[in-house]
Amino acid sequence: MKPSLDHVPKNSKRNFFQWFKYKWSNDPLFSIAVALIIMIILQTLVLGFDYDSFGSWFQAWTNNWINILRNNAATAIVALGMTFVIMTGGIDLAVGSTLVVTGALSMMLLDTGTKGFLVAAGITGVPAFIITILVVLLFGYLLGSLIGVSITKGKVPPFIATLGAMMIFRSVTQHFMQGYNPKVPAEFLQIASFKIGNFMIMPIIYWAIIALILYYVSKRTTFGRQIIAVGSNERAAKLSGIHVEKVKLRVYALMGLLVSIAAIIQVSRIGSMDFSNAGRGMEMDAIAAAVVGGTNMMGGRGFILGTVYGMLIIAVMNNLLNLFGVPPFLREAFKGVIVIAAVLLQKKEKSS
Amino acid sequence: MANAIASLLLLRFGCDAMIEMKKIRKSFGSNDVIKDVSFTLKGGEICALLGENGAGKSTLMNILGGVHQMDSGAVLVGGKEVVFKTPGQSQAAGIAFIHQELNLINDLPIYENMFLGRELKTKRGSLDLEKMQQETAAIFKQMNVDLEPGMMVRDLDASYKQIIEICRAMMTNASFIIMDEPTTSLTDQEIERVFKMMKTLREHQVGIIFISHKLNEVMQVCDRYLVLRDGNLVAKGNVAEVNTNDLARFMVGHEVRTESLKREKFIGKEFLRAEGLTNSPFFKEISFSIKEGEIVGFTGLLGDGRSELFQSIFGAEKMMAGKMFLHDEEINIRSTQQAIKAGIAYLPRNRKENAIIKDMDIIENASIVTWPAFSKKGTINRRQHQATFEEQRKALRIKMGELTDRITSLSGGNQQKVILAKWLAAKPKLFILDNPTQGVDVGAKEDIYDIIMKLAEEKIAIIVLSSEANEIIRLCDRAFVMYHGVIQGEVAGETMNEHAIMSLATGGQLPFAKGGMNKDETEPGSCS
Repeated sequence: MKPSLDHVPKNSKRNFFQWFKYKWSNDPLFSIAVALIIMIILQTLVLGFDYDSFGSWFQAWTNNWINILRNNAATAIVALGMTFVIMTGGIDLAVGSTLVVTGALSMMLLDTGTKGFLVAAGITGVPAFIITILVVLLFGYLLGSLIGVSITKGKVPPFIATLGAMMIFRSVTQHFMQGYNPKVPAEFLQIASFKIGNFMIMPIIYWAIIALILYYVSKRTTFGRQIIAVGSNERAAKLSGIHVEKVKLRVYALMGLLVSIAAIIQVSRIGSMDFSNAGRGMEMDAIAAAVVGGTNMMGGRGFILGTVYGMLIIAVMNNLLNLFGVPPFLREAFKGVIVIAAVLLQKKEKSS
Repeated sequence: MANAIASLLLLRFGCDAMIEMKKIRKSFGSNDVIKDVSFTLKGGEICALLGENGAGKSTLMNILGGVHQMDSGAVLVGGKEVVFKTPGQSQAAGIAFIHQELNLINDLPIYENMFLGRELKTKRGSLDLEKMQQETAAIFKQMNVDLEPGMMVRDLDASYKQIIEICRAMMTNASFIIMDEPTTSLTDQEIERVFKMMKTLREHQVGIIFISHKLNEVMQVCDRYLVLRDGNLVAKGNVAEVNTNDLARFMVGHEVRTESLKREKFIGKEFLRAEGLTNSPFFKEISFSIKEGEIVGFTGLLGDGRSELFQSIFGAEKMMAGKMFLHDEEINIRSTQQAIKAGIAYLPRNRKENAIIKDMDIIENASIVTWPAFSKKGTINRRQHQATFEEQRKALRIKMGELTDRITSLSGGNQQKVILAKWLAAKPKLFILDNPTQGVDVGAKEDIYDIIMKLAEEKIAIIVLSSEANEIIRLCDRAFVMYHGVIQGEVAGETMNEHAIMSLATGGQLPFAKGGMNKDETEPGSCS
């Protein structure tokens, strides 16, 4: 379908409705952005204006927003990687379990008790933190690569490979961590809870930086564009000289790396981790965010910015449900409705 | 009235089963596909239906099979006029159409496939497996087929799948069977098996229409032949009275343009040499060489293995044996990246499946090959791509809107030119073009020929793969004709003509005498 530019020239400010209609039918992210704006307005209304002054209202509003963003930062970072994975036509169900493995590793390295690896080696303080972060990131990258190798070299379907990894990673972690309660040094928690001004916004900053980098990667780099080519038409990509296996492998490795970043954020935010429950359902939240953001589950189409919007929509909706006092068990149902509604809203691919 | 007499006559001669197609016409839009074709098929004979691609064979058979409706004319079965509006009505009249792509379900056993869509059920409504097995076994016995009804279709040879389709047709009491190129994907041994089956059917007084490109097979198994060319019935008769050369001549006709395109030839030194390339079952022991500035053709019929051969040379598929030399130095290409690095470009056939990335815009489709080359630290240099493409766009005369429009907004010819542009950006030294004018209109076709000529003048070695003999003759300096994965022969200069190519492509040898052209093109025999 050729977008007809005849009746509405670009940058036309002639008529708001014409502009809106044009954007709605031609910009895949437009409807998502509109939905997000509507939800934010709704949320603001529900929050109410029952405050002494504008200042105190604004403070409450900001605090509410910081809470929303911070609580979702880890999942949001994972969702960004998931977008790339889905764009290649794959899926990664193992993110929650990878989070637990990498989280457990970081805690074992940092443990201030006698079992702590780095303490035993006589390394403490900032050097210990840096080593921990580097080792955990490398480990996450390796786990992702391992999944990637089984998918590309072993030809295991992504769903199966990551389903298997999901079971293995969590089960092994739970086995080795039973009865072991590592203590994370308080200074390490600064990674997530360092305050800028009066705001505890470090996780949000990490999310923003990673989103910016990945946005650039997806739009401007060889790797980013090759992801789309591979997901859209693998055969054509291969016949155009793209190393399809390498692209896929790197996507899963990147996913592992991002999950380990999320793990560090989680550990430093809470100071502990519940190995049997942490990250459970994270893969579904990440997939939901990507799908709401316009990513095509069949591959070939996806937007980093869309996934950010998608995550925000889900997060704001959770917040709204909370404000409305919807019973906790019912909230998942709303999430389900949002996911399906978002896909219904998106412009359908016309066969050409 | 005449019909009644005809059927009376038939009855007297004990030959009640008969299909007549009279003055059939059919057009799609302004394109006349079938122009006044009449023929007769009797029970107990095998009739070959021959013709080049686009001659109208499939359309004619689709009319008989109820897939298409004719514009005018009449179809008579057993002397009675019938109208087929759906494939079901044609089947009910006793005509079975076995398509080239078989309609079998791999994951079901043979007997369930035999009853697909008309399953036998018990009184309780569950499948009557036992009865279906028994009936399948009975028909196999009748047709001398040595197969266990309980076997899974997946485990069968391609030939047996064909045979099962035939048995399924017999089970519905078909008295006529249309077989559309049943042997293309079969080995010689398997073909033999299908032929045996066809002969059994002939004994059972079934009439068969056999569509094939392989003239040797026609000689071997058919009683009569019909040749279509451009929607006309140009020849018919008894197979016993003709040879394969005659049939090839009927199919091609004489009015084709065969003058070769002109260019200034700068033939340099050898660029690529292949020795004994093998990836069975697709191709075996292929050896050839090509010089800089030379245009070499590869042609043959469907399933000859030429596409597979060049996809393996390009590193997209594996190579089991053989050596390749680039400028006399041995080279081992295992991936498409290596091939591109070596200066090889490959424009694939079936643009939609193999070349177009529909989720990307025009400029991205036109630059995908050079992404790694035109980038700094992984960031794509868009200016360089746009500048390069702008040049190509002018040279190739690509008609398009904006660079960021979707690739699917372009016509087939312009899409193909964009794909050409992406390879030209990589500045190849050997350009392999697989069916370069597939799905391209006439104007764009000539444009693409021009480009190929220009590239050859720039000393680029060019290999053209095409099933159109005409295209090969017009473009190439010399050409290899493939048959069943081997090079059946090489044609050049005087010997590069449609008859020679058709003869080699159907498994024959180069005809020695060129005088055969002077023979009168009479229509030997007559069928009704």
